Amino acid sequence: MEQKVKKIMSQIFRVAEDHIREDASSLTIDSWDSLAHMNLIAALEEEFGVQFQDQEIIQMTSFEAILSSLALKAGSS
Amino acid sequence: MSRISFLEMDARLQAADMRGYPVCPITLLRNVTLENIQIFLRYFAYEAGWNAQVSFGDYDSVLQEAVSDSKKLFPDSKFILVYLFLENLSWNIARNFNGLSMEALQVEKEHVKNYLRLALEGIRTHTQAPVLWHSFESPVYPADGIGGPQRSGGQLETVSELNDYLKQILKMQPNTYGIDLNSCLARVGYDAYYDRRYWHLARAPYSQRALKEIALEDFKFIRALSGNVKKCLVLDCDDVLWGGAAGEAGLEGIQLGKSYPGSPYYEFQQEILNLYHRGVILALCSKNNEQDVWEVFDRHPEMILQRRHFAAWRINWKNKADNLRQIAQELNISTEHLVFADDSEFEINLVKEWMPEVLTLHLSRSHAVEFREKLLRLDCFGQISFTAEDQSRSQMIQQETERRKFQTNHQDLQSYLRSLELVATLRLADGVTIPRISQLTQKTNQFNLTTRRYSESDIRSFAESPNHRVFSLSLRDRFGDAGLVGVFIAERAGSSNCRIDTFLMSCRVLGREAEVIFAERCLTALASEWGVKEWAAEYIPTPKNALAERFWDQFGFKRKEAKAAQSAVHYSLEESQRILISNSIIHVEEEFCGTKS
Repeated sequence: MEQKVKKIMSQIFRVAEDHIREDASSLTIDSWDSLAHMNLIAALEEEFGVQFQDQEIIQMTSFEAILSSLALKAGSS
Repeated sequence: MSRISFLEMDARLQAADMRGYPVCPITLLRNVTLENIQIFLRYFAYEAGWNAQVSFGDYDSVLQEAVSDSKKLFPDSKFILVYLFLENLSWNIARNFNGLSMEALQVEKEHVKNYLRLALEGIRTHTQAPVLWHSFESPVYPADGIGGPQRSGGQLETVSELNDYLKQILKMQPNTYGIDLNSCLARVGYDAYYDRRYWHLARAPYSQRALKEIALEDFKFIRALSGNVKKCLVLDCDDVLWGGAAGEAGLEGIQLGKSYPGSPYYEFQQEILNLYHRGVILALCSKNNEQDVWEVFDRHPEMILQRRHFAAWRINWKNKADNLRQIAQELNISTEHLVFADDSEFEINLVKEWMPEVLTLHLSRSHAVEFREKLLRLDCFGQISFTAEDQSRSQMIQQETERRKFQTNHQDLQSYLRSLELVATLRLADGVTIPRISQLTQKTNQFNLTTRRYSESDIRSFAESPNHRVFSLSLRDRFGDAGLVGVFIAERAGSSNCRIDTFLMSCRVLGREAEVIFAERCLTALASEWGVKEWAAEYIPTPKNALAERFWDQFGFKRKEAKAAQSAVHYSLEESQRILISNSIIHVEEEFCGTKS
């Protein structure tokens, strides 16, 4: 799952995959603006077949937060 | 194509090499967050062979931008897309409906109507480009509940009144089109259409699926306005027009009729007939004994489609790619105008492989109940305004086929042409002919010297200008009436110079010398009316118009060397040097005695 998320993030943010480290967040990736964020969520939802709540969407602004949101979805389904 | 994921779409766009694609600048004005539609617009444009460049107006600034003096938004936009979401235009009508008094509702409606009108007028002061204006969605759960629709002035009725008003003002402005978002909403479904999360987080009301559907709808218009549409539906017979094989099951054995299991085929045929009445050309391409197929057409009581609806057919055992090429040639259209429907995956893949320009429709045998739906969803024969020529086009194509058979009985071309008893009518553009003239400029690719695409409003302004003349040519012969098929647009420059802006001829009437005689008559008329001494003409090469390349040479026009291989070729000619062309073939009627001064 981590690799898949990295791959998606690298495509959406137009940065190399190895630039997306464990501590990556909207603060460390310049291209992670609000529009890119919407695209990221759209891609994650489609690729993982899930839907996030509005509160989750606003919190998912780091690699770590994305992973834990996805893990929650996987656990609950 | 429609199942492709967001990431895949994005990846293809990133990897796409769009050098050589014409740039298509699109300006999008909106009162909500809509940036996410960009990827869909760019992707559908890419599929159509364009490099779309989408620029956005500021959030909720449609009117301000429309009436401002700033030109930055509309420099050379080919299309203007307007999206006004009712919530942000009138919170009261959209959300506070029950709190409105009759008077307050009236005021609110006037506010919206004024906004729409002023914005449209404002946009028109900046640009004459086509405007695609999105209607308001109807409330799916009206605020006034089940009682609202029972009385007049309910919320549903109010929203449709606003949509009617929009339709009305769009009708008065040429080259503006209403996009019906209620159709998009219905196709996607209410729950999947709106994304409430992003409405609250970012004032972005639409889901990804909704944005895709809306962009797809926009592109039907953009394609149609650019002349990028399909013209001919080529159909297989067995297991497509009827169930079973005519050659094996026989007349009584095939499935076709008003009740199951024949009803899916019956309804499919009815839908095909609707396309025929819309001007789509029909053809057959079937691996069969010709006799077996015609037996069904001639003798089966439930056949909706008749022989006369088909302009061409190839019923044989040869490969379908070759047959499709021959059909296109016979109909004088390009293979990229074809849609091919077949039940065999093998045939579909063969055509996909060899003729990627042909749109294929795979009708899988076990899903006959879906045939009609699949055809409806293709929605690729889009024409925006219907002209009389569209409705009788298929008929005219059939006449052409008869003409060709007649031709084989004549020894030389001249005697054949004379025997056709051709009559050409020249007219100046007027209210009746302007839509067809504009349509021809948008659709004609092959015999088109400059391929300039003009909207109805462009043609209207030429027709009204004292320095322009728009001539049209209609042609008929002993077999039938081809309708309006030629356009000549000239512009006066200085006291005795004239520039030929557009000269085109529908390819279905080429080869009868009508194009030469038409041009000759227009030149002669202008020479006497405007006193032209010096002519200027152009040939602008495209991938399709090589046919017309040397057209001006026969009148004595002198070619100036083109700057580069693919750029426009300029021609000039002194009127005194013009080569006159004799005509013993076509009887010409000129109906422009009442010319403008």
